[in-house]
Amino acid sequence: MDNITSVIAENISYKVNDNKLFHNLSFSLNTGESLHIKGPNGSGKSTLLRIILGITNPTKGSISINSTKDKCYLGHKNALKNYLSLDDNILLMEFDNHPCLKKYIEILDLKRYLDVNVANLSYGQQKKLGLLRLFLNSSDLIILDEPFVGLDKETQIILTDFLTDQLKENKTLIYTSHIECDIDSKTLLLK
Amino acid sequence: MNELKLEYLKLKKKTRSWLGPILVFWLIMLAFPLTVEFMQDKLEIGFFSVLWIAILISMMLATEDIFIEDYNDGSLEQTIIKNTSFQFLISIRIIVYWLMIGVPISILSFIFSLGTSEDLLLSISVIPLSIISSYIFLNLFALGSALSLNKGSLLGALITMPLALPVLIVLGKSIIAFQLGINYLEFILLLLGCLSIIIIAVPIIVSFIIKAHLE
Repeated sequence: MDNITSVIAENISYKVNDNKLFHNLSFSLNTGESLHIKGPNGSGKSTLLRIILGITNPTKGSISINSTKDKCYLGHKNALKNYLSLDDNILLMEFDNHPCLKKYIEILDLKRYLDVNVANLSYGQQKKLGLLRLFLNSSDLIILDEPFVGLDKETQIILTDFLTDQLKENKTLIYTSHIECDIDSKTLLLK
Repeated sequence: MNELKLEYLKLKKKTRSWLGPILVFWLIMLAFPLTVEFMQDKLEIGFFSVLWIAILISMMLATEDIFIEDYNDGSLEQTIIKNTSFQFLISIRIIVYWLMIGVPISILSFIFSLGTSEDLLLSISVIPLSIISSYIFLNLFALGSALSLNKGSLLGALITMPLALPVLIVLGKSIIAFQLGINYLEFILLLLGCLSIIIIAVPIIVSFIIKAHLE
């Protein structure tokens, strides 16, 4: 399959009050490519992801995304309802009829917690439930903010393998991570 | 339809959010006769004022956490990045709140009105008024809740309260008009006119406000 340009960022700048978070950032990504955004705390990694998602507007510059599908995004917050069971949360994500749901429930070892309220799960288990949003996505563009935080080694490997497979399926991946992972990626360093 | 079902599921499981305002309304209406003499004519004086204010307060309570929970858990971000219309989803949420809270309160309004006035026609006339006004109040306080998304719901309620005052005036006049046999339908039409504007305007404004908060 031919690779086509998926994301183009031109001269992106963002400042909070008078403090420049980043200035004149440009990059482009083809389908099947991955971008690892690196940088110290407060360097604007999450803000850049939010700009790519269209949640935050850049002070200057433009982003163009060559996809009409919904973007797949996992941020610091898992977008889960604490007062609902795992089953109900899956229903809210609209994955209840997804053909691969059972498979990933098994892989993530969540089956025995399906009737349990999310509030009663550990942070790692909640994170795994949040990962279903990624594992069952049908998007062309995957954006992840620190996806490995809170996950055990085994799940980190499952996630890495999944993301590598997604890249082979010509999806585009943009992520931030302080935890090293074995994904073949371009690197963007924010200072 | 699926969005309606999902919003219903969320609200149904948050018992405090839908049952709380209904109980507050019920308690106010039950407590009102205790503060005046138990005589028919005494009870009727001021009953409708208390009724409209009880609906107003219940709707204010109902919208207290209408957006804040989604804001805190990251659901709003997930909603915004979807291709689905955000305004549409806000409208659906307000409709579900109205069906789960506004409509039961309107039915209770009829029962309390009948119990107090013992006038079936007058009590029936309360139903459309309470149904329309509860929907208007929900929209207005949802706007307030969006405005004060991360600053506490009381601030939002205070900001939007002046917008609800003209509706209270119309509600008061409607009952007088019904009792005098004049212009009741015109007042209903006036409320429906307000509602038709609010139904369209509020979701659009709220969606812009929430997007600004997320930025």
